[in-house]
Amino acid sequence: MLALRDIRVSYGAIEVVHGVSIDVAAGECVALIGANGAGKSSTLKAICGLVPVSGGSVQFEGRDITNASGHAVVQAGITMCPEGRQVFPQMSVIQNLRMGAYTRTDKDQDADLARMMDMFPILRERQSQAAGKLSGGEQEMLAIARALMARPRICLFDEPSLGLAPKIVASVFETLAQIKAMGMTILLVEQNSMMALNLADRAYLFEAGKIVMAGPAKEMKSHPDVMRAYLGH
Amino acid sequence: MLIEILQQTINGLAIGGVYVLIALGLTTVFGILGIAHFAHGSISMFGGYLTFFLVTSQGLPVLAAIPVALATGILLGLLVEMLAYRPVRHANHINAFIVALGLTMMVEGINLQLFGHEQVVIPTGLSRVFRFGGITVPELRLYVIIAAIVLVVAMMVFVERTKTGQAIRAVAENRDAAILMGVNVKSIPLIVFGISTALGVAAGIMVGALFAIAPGIGEGFVVKGFAVLILGGLGSFPGAILGGTVLGITESIAAGFISSAYKDVIAFVVMILVLLIRPQGLLGRTP
Ligand SMILES: Nc1ncnc2c1ncn2[C@@H]1O[C@H](COP(=O)(O)OP(=O)(O)OP(=O)(O)O)[C@@H](O)[C@H]1O
Ligand SMILES: [Mg+2]
Repeated sequence: MLALRDIRVSYGAIEVVHGVSIDVAAGECVALIGANGAGKSSTLKAICGLVPVSGGSVQFEGRDITNASGHAVVQAGITMCPEGRQVFPQMSVIQNLRMGAYTRTDKDQDADLARMMDMFPILRERQSQAAGKLSGGEQEMLAIARALMARPRICLFDEPSLGLAPKIVASVFETLAQIKAMGMTILLVEQNSMMALNLADRAYLFEAGKIVMAGPAKEMKSHPDVMRAYLGH
Repeated sequence: MLIEILQQTINGLAIGGVYVLIALGLTTVFGILGIAHFAHGSISMFGGYLTFFLVTSQGLPVLAAIPVALATGILLGLLVEMLAYRPVRHANHINAFIVALGLTMMVEGINLQLFGHEQVVIPTGLSRVFRFGGITVPELRLYVIIAAIVLVVAMMVFVERTKTGQAIRAVAENRDAAILMGVNVKSIPLIVFGISTALGVAAGIMVGALFAIAPGIGEGFVVKGFAVLILGGLGSFPGAILGGTVLGITESIAAGFISSAYKDVIAFVVMILVLLIRPQGLLGRTP
């Protein structure tokens, strides 16, 4: 469904992603794990048109979307729930959710809005409050719900557990599991490798802008190198 | 005394409405692009001049000239964005600042060349005066107040209730996140400049009909417009509306009770006092 071939990403003269190839099949949950600064976020941003791809190609459902503009990528069916939540702080919870459906013109938007608020009751409770006033965990829920409002065919999550208390992290992963069970195709970037590998079907390990290991999540979890470096065993 | 205060409040509402319309344009442009669009006042007055020209030289009825001027305003807004500000979009902020100053001088020059240095008043033929109790309200002033309210409400509805309006807010709050929602961020500055300039032209027409347009007037209004933004709280729509109204009424009361020569001084003194007590402005958020 989504296929990255040898993509490279540079900031100015500095290349930070050195030819990465990733495949995500429909209905699959794929995790990208690896240390800080390895280039995971840059890869996701390159897919979404937030940073230019300086080499290689991005294919989505057989179409070439390399360096397509951000809004075209969303229209193609790819939505990202960005690192650090990035809700619109002064807009209300409802307005944030409706922004998620920005590219949609169908009549089911109100029904989806209600569905999101059933899934995240706290959002219904806080619906007319400014999103910036929510707690970190609540903002993460809002960012996830906002991404789903687009009815994407693939949803990219960039470190949804970042900066959250352990209890909240667990509930974020429960939510992700729920979204996966709904049949959503997921590409997940996580520092929390254990949680990510438990959730994902397959995973890629990033190191300094390259993929150094790939395989089924179960196998990765028991690989000695991964265990030592990322799972703290 | 009470009658006099009410009278000056009504007078102040008309000029306050003009300030609000100018300030709304400035605040939307600032919110999206971070540009202090100084040329806004001069372009607004161009709209007033154009209306005057269409009515006096081309014999158009005022009600026909106004839509032509507003449409021209939208077009000018698009041109200003594409030709003046887009090229410096990714450059240092000082570049946009210099462009804004240069554009102001250019538009002032064009206004002077095309319309001369004499002050002009748009002839509206509206000369009736309504009386409510002891308060007199010239018909024209009433229509200006109503038009300002209609435009401000329309703008609020646009921003709060339409997808495009929400996209404008979203881009102002978080550009990258707005892209991830599927907003075409290239088209947003165009829309913002089109709408802002049309609102400015509406204000220019009001100034031309109520008072007079002359060289330099536009610059005065843009300074007041920025004062309104700071008074109301930077980036706040309701703040701009409250700030403009307060400034208009304060000026008017100062002119009525003290002296019209001091109205600007008094208005700015009030502004300074407000900012001493509330540095974030009337409706601004605490930083
Ligand atoms: N806007 C930018 N300009 C310049 N360099 C950047 C920029 N964004 C990221 N980088 C650099 O690119 C490299 C990869 O960063 P990236 O954010 O993709 O890593 P990451 O794997 O997501 O890390 P983390 O787990 O900390 O989020 C880092 O060395 C970072 O310093
Ligand atoms: Mg990252």
